Amino acid sequence: MTARRFLRDNGLGLAFGTAFVLALIGQAFAGHADFNNQLVADDLQPISVGDYMASSDFAVDVMENWQSEYLQFFLYVFLTVWLVQRGSPESKSLDRIGVESDEDQQVGPHARPDSPRWAAAGGIRLKVYASSLGQAMGAIFVLSWLAQSVTGVSAYNEEQLRQLQAPTSWREYIVSADFWDRTLQNWQSEFIAIASMAILSIYLRQRGSPESKPVGAPHHSTGVEG
Amino acid sequence: MPWRWQWGAAAATGAALVLTTACGAVEERRTAAMAAALDFERALGARDGGAVCRALAPATREEVAQSAKTTCAKGILDEEVPSADAVPEDVQSVDVNGRQARVVFPADTLFLSLFPGGWKIVAAGCTPRPQRPYRCTLKGG
Repeated sequence: MTARRFLRDNGLGLAFGTAFVLALIGQAFAGHADFNNQLVADDLQPISVGDYMASSDFAVDVMENWQSEYLQFFLYVFLTVWLVQRGSPESKSLDRIGVESDEDQQVGPHARPDSPRWAAAGGIRLKVYASSLGQAMGAIFVLSWLAQSVTGVSAYNEEQLRQLQAPTSWREYIVSADFWDRTLQNWQSEFIAIASMAILSIYLRQRGSPESKPVGAPHHSTGVEG
Repeated sequence: MPWRWQWGAAAATGAALVLTTACGAVEERRTAAMAAALDFERALGARDGGAVCRALAPATREEVAQSAKTTCAKGILDEEVPSADAVPEDVQSVDVNGRQARVVFPADTLFLSLFPGGWKIVAAGCTPRPQRPYRCTLKGG
């Protein structure tokens, strides 16, 4: 495979992977400058960008955003099995609510010769594989939310000590205003993004995008992607 | 061993290494912060103004000199900072988060911060107040 063809065939993953790395580097530099401004204002020693990237302050900012993104995809993957939106290309058609038949899903005896091995296997392997996307998103969500709580209590306590206040324990932190403020401010933005995408895509179009219905598709057609 | 298991084993080893290193680093910081607090209390007990001031953070040292209108080494001995026992057994607790620390003695609580020369005392003679910062006899700014 030529490099050119590889780039074309993997453009979506590569573009977002690159954008992620650039944004993370940008966040590290902006966060570092902000953190040092606070340290200087408190007459404390500024730190290097490398030390900042290893700090809980940077880690909690990264983790709080990751957990909400993976929660979004976890809920999206699972809830769209059961919840539909009439007219939306984000929804499947209204008569296919639920996990659908083995024939529709090409599993067990209905698997094709080129289906994934576990789709044809049946039993526990099929059960696991049939919800592996949601499980992976859910697992990353739980782990990154846990990481948010661990790095969050450390960052919170560092600030408490800087302000000559007592540090708190992890148990106290996970019911604290700081933890839930960080968590819910991210969740609300994910939920409105999904709701607006599901509803706006009923009436609006993006020619050529698989996230949109074809430009000429009627508003009432559901589960059609362009 | 299948290659996927090898990757899994490598990832688990890497994670264990990161955790061990991180825990080691935290323990090292706790020990260093406690040692700096003990040095401060010993110098205070010995009324060695120069040593007390060397243990202070720059802004705290500056504040002592400014408020006493003399050098830090002379002014510090007039401050009413309680002198705690200076043996490790008397340390009630050490909390380290990032580059900030709190060391609690029976008679005093100290706040420290990490500087290029090591852990320095940011505030001393501190007593807790519910829902508010500690009230400290000695602090910067």
